[in-house]
Amino acid sequence: MNPTLSAVISLLLALLSPACAAAPTDPLGDRGRWPDMQRQFYADGPISFDARVRVEVPANAEDAMNVPVAVDARAVASEGIERIVVVADYNPILKVLEFEPVTVAPYLAFRIKVQQSTPIRAGVKLKDGRWLIGSAVVASQGGGCTAPSNGRGTPGWERTLNTVSARQFSSAVGDRLRFSILHPMDTGLANGIPAFFIDELNLRDAGGNTVARIRPAEPVSENPVFTLDLAGALTVVQIDGRDNNGNKVLGTLR
Amino acid sequence: MQRKTLSMLVAAAFAGASLAAVAGPVTDEMILNDAKSTGDVLSFGMGTQGQRYSTLNKINTTNIKKLVPAWAFQFGGEKQRGQESQPLVHDGKIFVTASYSRMYAVDALTGKELWQYDHRLPEGIMPCCDVVNRGAALYDNLVIFGTLDAQLVALDQNTGKVVWKEKLDEFSAGYSYTAAPLVVKGLVVTGVSGGEFGIVGRVDARDAKTGKLVWTRPVVEGHMGYLNGQENGITGETNASWPGDTWKTGGSSTWLGGTYDPKTNLIYMGTGNPAPWNSHTRPGDNLYSCSTVAINPDTGKIVWHYQNTPNDGWDFDGVNEFVTFDFKGKDGKTVRAGGKADRNGFFFVNDATTGKLLNAFPFVTKHTWADKIDLETGRPVYNDDNRPGNPGADKQGKTVFSAPSFLGGKNQQQIAYNPDTGLFYVPANEWGMDIWNEPISYKKGAAFLGAGFNIKPIYDDYIGSLRAFDPKTGKLAWEVKNNAPLWGGAMTTKGGLVFYGTPEGQLKALDAKSGKELWAFQTGSGVVAPPVTWEQGGEQYIAVVSGWGGAVPLWGGDVAKRVNYLNQGGALWVFKLAK
Repeated sequence: MNPTLSAVISLLLALLSPACAAAPTDPLGDRGRWPDMQRQFYADGPISFDARVRVEVPANAEDAMNVPVAVDARAVASEGIERIVVVADYNPILKVLEFEPVTVAPYLAFRIKVQQSTPIRAGVKLKDGRWLIGSAVVASQGGGCTAPSNGRGTPGWERTLNTVSARQFSSAVGDRLRFSILHPMDTGLANGIPAFFIDELNLRDAGGNTVARIRPAEPVSENPVFTLDLAGALTVVQIDGRDNNGNKVLGTLR
Repeated sequence: MQRKTLSMLVAAAFAGASLAAVAGPVTDEMILNDAKSTGDVLSFGMGTQGQRYSTLNKINTTNIKKLVPAWAFQFGGEKQRGQESQPLVHDGKIFVTASYSRMYAVDALTGKELWQYDHRLPEGIMPCCDVVNRGAALYDNLVIFGTLDAQLVALDQNTGKVVWKEKLDEFSAGYSYTAAPLVVKGLVVTGVSGGEFGIVGRVDARDAKTGKLVWTRPVVEGHMGYLNGQENGITGETNASWPGDTWKTGGSSTWLGGTYDPKTNLIYMGTGNPAPWNSHTRPGDNLYSCSTVAINPDTGKIVWHYQNTPNDGWDFDGVNEFVTFDFKGKDGKTVRAGGKADRNGFFFVNDATTGKLLNAFPFVTKHTWADKIDLETGRPVYNDDNRPGNPGADKQGKTVFSAPSFLGGKNQQQIAYNPDTGLFYVPANEWGMDIWNEPISYKKGAAFLGAGFNIKPIYDDYIGSLRAFDPKTGKLAWEVKNNAPLWGGAMTTKGGLVFYGTPEGQLKALDAKSGKELWAFQTGSGVVAPPVTWEQGGEQYIAVVSGWGGAVPLWGGDVAKRVNYLNQGGALWVFKLAK
């Protein structure tokens, strides 16, 4: 089916069912948690699954504390994207992150912790109010969310906390920004270790304008690494933000 | 960690309907009126003057027997250490801090948790005397508290999310923070802890809404103060009372916070012991250690100081709270004055505007280091034989028996003043110590004492005693003895009552005039924190935190026998009258 037509149909369906009863069928099959995900994260607009929103994960995650995820919504960029909300259905903490590609391409790669095998969803909120959902399943032995971070046991972690390393480069696949931040990203689920995670990141150009915002949540992996597609403009000069304790993040690119 | 529950949303919805009168952002006017406003507790001391007096009398001497628990809230976790926090109450919420730099917001009527913040602490924190916190400050939509790694954190009152966070200083150099901040004219005023590590005490004032530093005032002479990033004059006169370079590591930490009186427009900060403990290394008065320092909040400058223990050699920190009140002197004139029950065993009354000593009397039975405070000179009359000896090149100087002990005739446990009875209520302790000096050199981040000690009880039947004093005559009106040392503050009300807790776990209510015990409740763990009271929905409530710990079990010496059976805990108890 024509993707635009399918979106229109699902929009019509949503409009025809005021009680929102007609949830679209999950392409991943009968995954019990999907209705909960929809209600908690994607409730405020017509919703459709859309294969153009790609979620790339390994079929089998060997390291449950570092599962690579790439969310690629470039194929729907022309429809006007407000933000992207990534969740993991079967994690104890569902929300993984939010991403606002203000002027950069709607592409973000990162690593997450998973507690067990789970669907990963990327909901693309369009400016016209619709949600386009991409999904993928990652199989895992699990346990990634309830283990203490490695940093927790490293003496002097506070001296390197929030250290930023970043690089912009052009390659065959496009103009990329990759950066990492030293942070334990503790979920609060390991016994006696409170949640401690970066919850706000802003990428800015030379004029101080925000070109992208990332709002990580607890499931993002320790010492997070993010990769963005700068869409032909290597313009990011500053990465700033903070963690949930108010410790500031500040990195500059030269 | 923030935990926001559905119950919060529900509670907020109800609070919005029924408590509109006290809802909204906390203003300077509300804080200055805190001692009189009965519907909230907005500041440490139940008013920045620190009187811990409430005009509420719905709970009084005739009906106190009907006081029963409304609910209890457990801090939980495996981190049950000393709980010295005074709760704050605003807009139907209680804000209470706990050991290991934790903060909770709880619905005041039901005890349901609204949110919780657990500050991430590094492994190397160096609090000298247990991992306590004494409470928070409220301003605007913020609740602000300090952490053991010397940070100041401002959280949104509704969500518990961090709004701003500023570093007070380097924890690795020995700095920490345990006091409740003070808010004055939109500034959040803090001291620093770390006097046992040779840090330099100071007072900082920040914009309470943003955390931006406005002024800083060191309390050791020779150090430069700053206002809006500009030099603002050196404190005192370099080397006037400290020889050589000793002022550079002069201690005098301002670890117990301060009070403020709008009538004098002065902040009163107590300062700790000079470092190191061995007084022979620093001949002179060592200003402004062991003092009350009065600072103008507008200029960040010291207006007056009064030194309680010049050239201290016993660790008699002068940090204890300076509680302002109207003092009717023997000449019949009323002046704005401040009362302070010092660690050194004497109760001082100073003119709050000028610092002039108006009266001084012992509030403990033994004071070996000084016979009296000379009211003419304002200085102690020392017993020179009772100063721990100079070790010189030897390993150890002469040992003396000193009373009070370094834990003080009174320590962090707060006094209260009742204008109806005209009495100060002092949670006092009777104990002494063997103390001797040892050679010492300063190393950043290492303990800087140069002394050894062993604490001893003086009497077989009690250490603690809740004592009521007339500040004019110095006469003891009554006392209630307690086997273990008292470590929790007092509170008094227009209902003719004095409330205080004991390490044995009881919250007690006494008749403010006679000291007669009228009510007691076992909270399940030792009480080392001050009670508060407020009114909500036409009923008067009493709250106190329970959880044994603090400096006594850590440094208690022979006193340990009286306390080592006490079990830890961590709970907020709230009481009201049975219907």
